[in-house]
Amino acid sequence: MLQVSHLKKYFGSFKAVDDLSFSVQEGEVYGFLGQNGAGKSTTIRMLLSLIKPTSGEIRLFGKSLFEEREQILQRVGAVVEKPDVYKYLSGYENLKLFSKLSFKAISTHQLWETLELVGLKDRAHDPVRVYSQGMKQRLGIAVALVHNPDLIILDEPTNGLDPQGIADIRNLILLLSKDKGKTVIVSSHLLSEIEQVADSMLIIHKGKKVVEGNVLELLNPEKITLELVTSNNEESLRLIGLSSWSSAVKSSAHGRIVLETDPQGVTELNKMLVQHDIGVSSLKSMNSLEAYFLSLTTAHEVL
Amino acid sequence: MKFFSIVYIELYKIFRKPRTYIAFGAVAAIVGLIQLGFYADGDSYMQFGMQSFSDSFDVEGNIMNGYLMAYIILQLLLVHVPLLIALVAGDMISGEAAQGTLRVLLTKPISRSTLILGKFTAAGVYTLLLLLWMAVWTLGFSIAIFGIDDMLILKSTQVTQIVSTDVLWRYAAAFLFACLAMLTVAALSFFLSLFAENSIGPIMATMSIIIVFTILNTLDLPLFEQVKPFLFTTHMLGWKGFFDVTVNENNEQMIGSIENLPAVLSSGGILLLHVILFLGLSMYLFGRKDILS
Repeated sequence: MLQVSHLKKYFGSFKAVDDLSFSVQEGEVYGFLGQNGAGKSTTIRMLLSLIKPTSGEIRLFGKSLFEEREQILQRVGAVVEKPDVYKYLSGYENLKLFSKLSFKAISTHQLWETLELVGLKDRAHDPVRVYSQGMKQRLGIAVALVHNPDLIILDEPTNGLDPQGIADIRNLILLLSKDKGKTVIVSSHLLSEIEQVADSMLIIHKGKKVVEGNVLELLNPEKITLELVTSNNEESLRLIGLSSWSSAVKSSAHGRIVLETDPQGVTELNKMLVQHDIGVSSLKSMNSLEAYFLSLTTAHEVL
Repeated sequence: MKFFSIVYIELYKIFRKPRTYIAFGAVAAIVGLIQLGFYADGDSYMQFGMQSFSDSFDVEGNIMNGYLMAYIILQLLLVHVPLLIALVAGDMISGEAAQGTLRVLLTKPISRSTLILGKFTAAGVYTLLLLLWMAVWTLGFSIAIFGIDDMLILKSTQVTQIVSTDVLWRYAAAFLFACLAMLTVAALSFFLSLFAENSIGPIMATMSIIIVFTILNTLDLPLFEQVKPFLFTTHMLGWKGFFDVTVNENNEQMIGSIENLPAVLSSGGILLLHVILFLGLSMYLFGRKDILS
């Protein structure tokens, strides 16, 4: 559905995006990860032709974005950074106005259906200036969805949202992908968010690709890195040293023990410590994308 | 099709913004106040104005009529109207950039040149409507309040008399010319709005340029004389040319005449060139602009 080849964007001598190539398959949720300033938004702006690349090629639906921009954008819906709309208009008026710009026949029923999908039906006639951040975000997504696009691009869609808002957006992404068969590209620096919704992902750092692939494969669930906090870390370390995990300990500092084990080992380790009257305050998997991401980007930093 | 949709959407946005109505309210208030002032104390004003001619001419009839009132008001008002035009035209791109809606618009399947043309056309329609509103107040209401008669235009060295039956078409032409002049201001303001991310900058820049150019126009220094023909402000008052008439050997006005039609047409042409230049530059630069807002 989307192929990006050797994409570059330089602002003077600053390389915002440097030789980036990746592809997105139809129907998948594609996570686009990177720290703030990594080049995610610049890349997304290039995908939407808001920014002209210094060089490289972008192909969407098998067509070149630079040659068939208007036909391509008719099939794309996007929220770039903030969900900005006209504050002096109501949510419904905004949606109606932007739907006209898709140049497709969109019925009033479709407008209300989209508002219902994002949970704004009851507040549709309120002016946007009284909307909360979460409501503005949902309206922005409604604007992106109203013309029934095949590809949806959401740039940092959970920015500034409360936990309920984040969960709502996550559920909406899953609904769009799994129930409606849409292809979704979602960027975020909240890595746990990507972990929960994405099928594939791309991590970029300082404009360069760090890694791309299937989320589950990249996280390698065969081996879990555990962070352990107990009532007696010294005794815990001694017991672990006498057990089969003796060589699995990676570090022990600041009241935390970090070790590697398989999924079965988590329960066994907990059981062993409890049997020796050691209270386990926290037993946490570090196999999150966050840990993975930090290990990769730190490695890149060193390189 | 896309162009007309953009024009419709832009006009919808313009007329949903409260600031749009400031201009219409300001025109109504200023014209209304001037008309009230003249209605209450216009005779003494006219006597003062006619002082230097009263020994040589015996003037009869309704001198302070609606036609003259409209002329006086337009002279006073057209200098300030650019601010009201810039208020909307200067906001067309910069306001969208400030709100962040420019990037939303540009993710839609419209070419940048269509968007620019559509937005400028909407700014042009606003300009026309504002001038139409001004025409209704200055001419329509002045005629209703002060009646009609031959029009006397007092200048420093001469008095021009235009018979009442020969006035209305001159106003129609003058308003059309004023539209072109204000469209030039709109194009300048629109062009400047490409470079800002708030609407104050383009509005202030437009007014600053007009003020500086107007000052240059008033300074009779040889250095400035050479640049004056190229300043659009020199030509903005070209509408007055429609009220300069030629006379026959009996010193009677020739009906339908314009004293210096080539000069009026030349001024109109220069203004039109400015509009094309500013709009062309806007389309060229916007087409290459990275949207970072």
